[in-house]
Formats: sequence, structure tokens, C-alpha cells
Amino acid sequence: MSNVKQVRLIGFGGQGVVLAGTILAHSAIKDGRWVAGSSAYGAQARGGTARYDVIVAEDQIKFPHMISTDILIAFSQKAYDESLGQLSQENALVIYDDLLVKPITLDKADQIGVPATDRAIKDLGNKQAANMVMLAAAAVLTGLTSQTSLVKALEENSAARFLEINRKALALGQEIGLNIKKNINRKE
Amino acid sequence: MARDLDAYLRQEVKSTPFCPGCGHGILMNIILRAIADLQLDMKNILFVSGIGCAAWIPSPHFNGDTLHTLHGRAIAFATGAKMANPKLKVIVISGDGDLTSIGGNHLIHAARRNTNLTVICANNMIYGMTGGQVASTSPLGAVTATTGEGNPYQPFDLCRLVLGAGAEYAARFSVTQPLVLMAAIKKALNMETFTFIEALSPCPTQFGRRNQADSSVQMLKALMQDCVTREQAAKMDKVVLKTKIITGEFSHE
Amino acid sequence: MNDTNEINSALSPGSYFFTGNEAAAEGAIAAGCRYYAGYPITPSSEIMERMSQRLRDVSGVFMQMEDEIASICSVVGASWSGAKSMTATSGPGFSLMQEAIGYGVFTETPLVIVDIQRAGPCTGQATKVGSGDLMQAKWGSHGDYQIIALSPWSVQEMYDQTIDAFNLSEQYRVPVFVMSDEAVGHLRERMDISPTLRVTNRYKKSGAAPFGTEEKDGVPPMPSFGEGENITVTGSTHNEFGVRKTDDPNVQEKLVGRLNHKILNNREEIVQSESYYMDDADVIVIAYGFTARSAFFAVDQLRKTGKKAGLLRLKTIWPFADKLITEIGRKGKKLFVPEMNSGQVYGEIRKYADCEVIPYHQTNGRIIHPKDIMQHIERIL
Repeated sequence: MSNVKQVRLIGFGGQGVVLAGTILAHSAIKDGRWVAGSSAYGAQARGGTARYDVIVAEDQIKFPHMISTDILIAFSQKAYDESLGQLSQENALVIYDDLLVKPITLDKADQIGVPATDRAIKDLGNKQAANMVMLAAAAVLTGLTSQTSLVKALEENSAARFLEINRKALALGQEIGLNIKKNINRKE
Repeated sequence: MARDLDAYLRQEVKSTPFCPGCGHGILMNIILRAIADLQLDMKNILFVSGIGCAAWIPSPHFNGDTLHTLHGRAIAFATGAKMANPKLKVIVISGDGDLTSIGGNHLIHAARRNTNLTVICANNMIYGMTGGQVASTSPLGAVTATTGEGNPYQPFDLCRLVLGAGAEYAARFSVTQPLVLMAAIKKALNMETFTFIEALSPCPTQFGRRNQADSSVQMLKALMQDCVTREQAAKMDKVVLKTKIITGEFSHE
Repeated sequence: MNDTNEINSALSPGSYFFTGNEAAAEGAIAAGCRYYAGYPITPSSEIMERMSQRLRDVSGVFMQMEDEIASICSVVGASWSGAKSMTATSGPGFSLMQEAIGYGVFTETPLVIVDIQRAGPCTGQATKVGSGDLMQAKWGSHGDYQIIALSPWSVQEMYDQTIDAFNLSEQYRVPVFVMSDEAVGHLRERMDISPTLRVTNRYKKSGAAPFGTEEKDGVPPMPSFGEGENITVTGSTHNEFGVRKTDDPNVQEKLVGRLNHKILNNREEIVQSESYYMDDADVIVIAYGFTARSAFFAVDQLRKTGKKAGLLRLKTIWPFADKLITEIGRKGKKLFVPEMNSGQVYGEIRKYADCEVIPYHQTNGRIIHPKDIMQHIERIL
């Protein structure tokens, strides 16, 4: 992982975007990294879009807000469309939910579709768990945080009644991430 | 007779700052007598006052801890001191303008919270220290420095105000009724709740001279005539009663 | 003199992911705060909410008062009852507290006020950032006085400086302000808690005058109510035993003089700052609070392209870093001062720096972006 990664998780209200961002932040701290996070505050939070920005760094963070998006994790078409303009000029990565987002061709960014919602429904029978599937897959694909820390962070931040399903979702996400990674490596 | 209260007074303070005929000296005496009778330890009492003539009753005269605060804020300061050290007996002594006008919000909220404070309001029905302006307690028609043609507004009924806000005990007596006033103060000091004593105290300097009470003796006499007990009031004609002050103990009935 | 000792942190040591407001509450608990009174106001309310929970854990007292005036007054009362005490507020609430702040100064009451500054004046932009209260912290109450005001730039420093504020308030018997802002108060980032911290204890000396001293630091010992010390506390001019002496010009002059001197004479010890890339800098940015984060990023980026920019970060706003600014001014460098107000600290810097000082004001409720600072510095260079 390069020194500073600016990560934007974005979708619509109710998808658990803020929880995913919070768990990512706690998890990266457990890895010993420096983290700053901010969610949409005020009226935005009650509108359609839900957003959580996380900056993950190896050293203390100078400026704690996002300047441009290094890693975009998009949970909806609208979120995807809205966020492309903020992508960093170099080495940007877009990870999107392949059931909910139809990607357009991008010159300067790599894009990876993750079947988070699809597999959450098929394997877990729970659409709500897609956020954790996406998070664990993105963690594998980006190296932002370790699976061990993700599980610990989940245990500290998830409501007890959702803990079991979320644990399963993280495991599923990790598996999906590893498979995608294998395929990418094979192509290269 | 006054000698036996020496221990309750700061020795370096030789005289009170009050005008001739002011009722606050009598009230000062009654409060200390109540404390002496109850054998309360002055080391354990904090007296809190605001700004105005009555705020000088405890500060710096009383030989315990005294906190002489900002105008209107005595009860807020007292709340912090009491909550941080519940062992303290906290007595707030201040004037009507201080406690019920600028500080009215703190008064009703302390009553609502039932904070364990005894609040003694020396009510002279006027702003004495600043030169005799109308107060929220001045009688309808009273001539003051700011109501030359008479006060157009009716005064607060302070006891009903604090009872309405949740106080469990309120009493109103005049300094011309020293024994019942002292008994009420003792009763309040023995309660572990918010208690309120309204002590009517004449101000000849600012109130009397503007309202046909030419001497302090006359003012005291007028006060004695105006104050009626609740029992007397129950039998009185309503029109006559409007010119009277009903004294007694009040609680939720 | 006060003694200080090392105590265990209230939270277990480790890394946390807190907001600035949560960190301020944790700093207060760690420093020994046992009385909090406040009134809800955006953007500082989360401090009060957390204190309502955390004070329960440590058997302290939490009071939600009827207004900010009652809050600060009860904090003064609680401090005299022996509890380390605090309130937090924003904009309008800070205005309401000013009279009682003067009372705190004049009666030498240790207390801490956290001000999460928002864009004013008046109700202004209640949820947006500003730093327009710095002069109010300095001069907001009537009369002539000195206080201590700190300016945190991170969640970590919200914790650290709240602890510092309690220690300084005990050491100098003065209200201490943590002049934060909405951007730091609502920022969420990693902060670390070490196993122990140093706390300053109240200096007590039975029978000693509580409002006068011949000691060099100018700070008398402070008794508490209920200790049998027969304390008289008053906001009127008073002698060393607290007895009103409002007609005596010498008593007034001596008292006001000592209250000012006990801060100003010790300002070398109180004032703290940090500097980055200063030695060969052609332009030095002087910043504080969240703006210093933007400036830090900007200066770092400029250095990467070989441009000689430096940063001086003021951690203490009052007393002002006059000597430091004078020294920097002598080196003849250009100073650039970005602020989320109309130049409140710029004016102070102008008083002491004998060189070119360029202000940059932004009062639109938004943070000053690093790009803006970079552009300005490039123009100046």
C-alpha cells in the first residue's frame, strides 16, 4: 500500500455504507495505520446518498479530508456516476457492485466489479449483508486492511443480532476478493 | 442579647451596610438565630448571594463560607457548589430583583429539579441599591424612579410561582413577624429539598419615601397592617383582600 | 506551588477512533474533571452527551442546566466546592457566558471552557466552521484581564489540550479555553492514549490568604468550601482575604495588576508552538486550529516541488507568542496568515513582526482548502 489512500464508500441510505466505512476505519487502526474518517453531515445524510470517506495512511495524516478519491467503492449507479469526477488523476481504483452499477469506460482508472449484492442474496439470503461482502472483497483487492482486523472491528461495531450474518458476509467477501485477484493475476 | 450571635459573625466586620430602617438587619438576625437554634455547624454551611442590598446580608458578614456572585446568578452558582459537594448546607440569600427578575429562570429551574437549596428572598419590592426602580415584585400603582405615575403591572406572587415550578415548600412572612418567619426558616433548613422563603423587608430609603411612608416606623407599621395570615384572609372581603399581603406557609394542597 | 503527579489514563491505553468532541470529553475525564454543566448547542453538543455518560462511570456530576449562563456559573460554584469543573459551548452560548468568565478570572477560579467555534456573528451558520471567537476569548468580558486559550488541530490534541487546560487552570487559577472549531470537533481520526498522564493538583495551604500572595508566580493557594476556612469569595474588588474593598484604589490596582502579571510574567512557560520546514523558508505560514492542517499539507506539497515554504503552528493563542513572532520578524521573512475570521491573529502578528505580513481571510463557513494556501504562497514566493 502506498503511503496515503483516500477511500470513498458511497451508495444510498440504508445500504450500510457508513457502517462499512466505520468498520474499515477501525480495522485499519487495528493494523497500526493512521486513519481519518468523515461521513456526510447535515441534510445530505437524510437525502438519498450516503457517503463515508476514509483516509488510511502509514504515517500521521496531514490533511484529514479527501482531496481526490484514490479508491472509490460504489454501491449504486447514482453514487458511481456522481463520484467519478473526484477520482485522482493517477492510480485510481473503482470497485463497484456489479448488480447495481453499469460501469462506463474510464481511461485513467482501473475498475473491478464485485458481485456483493448478488452473492449476499444467493449465498446468505440477505441483501443487507452486501455492505460487508463488499468491504471484505475491497480489503483483499486494495490491501487497505487485514481480514483479521476486519473481523475484530466488526465485533466491536456491529449490533449483536447482526453479528453472525455479518461475520459470514466478511468471509464470503474475502473469498470473492481472493478469486477476483487470482483471475486478475492470471490475466496479467 | 445580640452578643450570643457573635460567633456567627466575622469579627473583622464591625457594622452592617444597611440604611436606617432597612429590614435586612432584622432578617440577618432571624437567619442566624434559626441557624443557632438548630445548632447547625457554620463550617458546613455555604451562603450564596447575588448582587444588591440583600446580597450583603451574608457576604462578608457571616462566619462561614460565603460566595457573593453575579447579579441574578446566585442559584446557578449554588447549584454547582451543592452538586459538587452534597455535604454542604447551601443557603441562598438575595433580593427580589436578583432572584426573581434577572435570575427568575434559575429560580424556577432549581425548584423544578428540587435541588436541595434553601432560598431566602429578601423582598423589598424595589431595586434599592440602584436607586429605587420598579421591580417585578413592586405593587400595582407603586411610585418608583421608573414609574412616576405608578407601576402599571401586577407583581409576581413568588410563593405561587415556585410552587408552580415544583417546589415542595414555600413560605411568606414579613420581618415584622419575626417568630413565625424564623420558624419557617428553621423548617426549610430541616428539609432536604428545594425550599423557598419570601421575607418581606421594608426599604424606607427607596420605596417608603416615594410612597407616602415618611418614616421607617411608619413603613414598619404599614407592613404590619398589610400582612394578614391565611386564616384571616379566608374570612376577608375580596376587595379589601386585594390591598393585603397574605402571609403563611404554602405547599401543594 | 502546585504538585503534579502521574496517574493512569481513564481509558485503557491504545488507539481509538474518536471525534474531536469525544476526545475533549475523554481528556476531561482523564484530567480529573468531576463536574460538567452545559446547555445543548451545535456543534459542541456531543461533548455534553459524552460527559453525561462518562461522569457516571467516575462518580462525577453532570448537570444539563437551563442555559449557558447557569452552566458556567454552576461550574464556578463546583470548582470552589473542590471539583475540577468544565463546560463546553459554541458561538451564542460563548457570548452568554462572558460575564461569568470575568467572575472566574476575578475570583481566580480554575475551570475549563471548550468552545467549538462556528461561523458567526449571531446565529450565523450554526453547523459550519469558523474561528471568530478568539478576540472574544481574550476580551469578551468587561474590564482588563488575562486568560489562557489553546488551539487544537487534531483529535489527538483535543484530548491532550483538554488535559493541558485543566492543568494550566489549576496551576494559574484562571479559566482556560480550548478554542477549537467545528472542523476539529467533528473530525474523526485515530488518537492514541498512553498508559499514564500528568495532572496538576490544586495548591492548598490552610489559613493562607486565598486572594493574595508574595510568591513569585503570583498564584495564591485555593481552599474549598466546607473545609472550615471561612472563605469569602466575591466578584467585587477584594483584599487578599476576599473582603470587599471597593473604595480603595490601591487594592484594585494591586489585584488587577497581579491577575494580569500572573499570566503575562509566566507566558514563556505557557506559550507553545510547533514549526515545520522553518529554517530556510522564504515564506512562513502562521496558522492554528484546523487551518494549520490545511497549511501543513500545503507546505509539505510545496516542499516536494522545491518551494521554500514553512509553517509555524500556534498551539497557544493567549497569551500571545509575542517573543517568537518578534524573532521571526527580525529574520525578514514573509509571513502568510490564513484564518477563518477577518484577521484576528493577523492583527496580533502585525504588532510584533517587523516584516511583511500577508493576511488571508475566509469567513464563508468552509474550511480553508490546502489548494488555496498553495496558490497564495506560490504567488507570494
